[in-house]
Amino acid sequence: MEKAAKEYTVQFSSAMVGYVLVLFASTYIIKADPDAWWRVPLAVAPVVPAFFALLSFIRYLGRMDELQRQIQLEAIAFGAGATAILSFGYGFLENVGFPDISLIFVLPLLVALWGLGACIASRKYS
Amino acid sequence: MKNMIRLLRAELSWSQAELAQQLGVSRQTVNALEVGKYDPSLPLAFRIAHIFNKPIEAIFLNGEQATVQEVELEEKHTA
Repeated sequence: MEKAAKEYTVQFSSAMVGYVLVLFASTYIIKADPDAWWRVPLAVAPVVPAFFALLSFIRYLGRMDELQRQIQLEAIAFGAGATAILSFGYGFLENVGFPDISLIFVLPLLVALWGLGACIASRKYS
Repeated sequence: MKNMIRLLRAELSWSQAELAQQLGVSRQTVNALEVGKYDPSLPLAFRIAHIFNKPIEAIFLNGEQATVQEVELEEKHTA
């Protein structure tokens, strides 16, 4: 299992480094020529390494022991549910004058609540 | 579910980490099993029974059976 954790760390970290590099590169290139035809594919290019980061986690999930997998699934359920409720609720607030928030913040919110969910679930089993 | 894992582990002088390694699970899982906060899957229950060389029913207990067997094993352990 330690081997699985090490492999996950390497794969996830590599994907995150790739994400940062692609993000900076795409931002820089798009700013240099904002009207170019390739601005659309370049704009979504950071999603590719993010997808590989997600893939590395899914692979790791299959290699975890049963309790750790249970904890992660409860954490993801909590994160997804809480994100859904919060973003849905904030949508109504935007209708009454609250500032618009870009959809790009949904994923960081989900990840943060997923982490919180993992802490709560982990404590439940200790 | 109450179980005898902690007592059986103590009889063999194994740490939780050592038992976890034998079972191929994390130390957190062994601890959760011992305190009864997590019930194992059937394959894991069979692995536990195999490690301790006891039937599953002698390791995982229910209700009244739990009290009687716990007392017997505690007495045996402290004797």
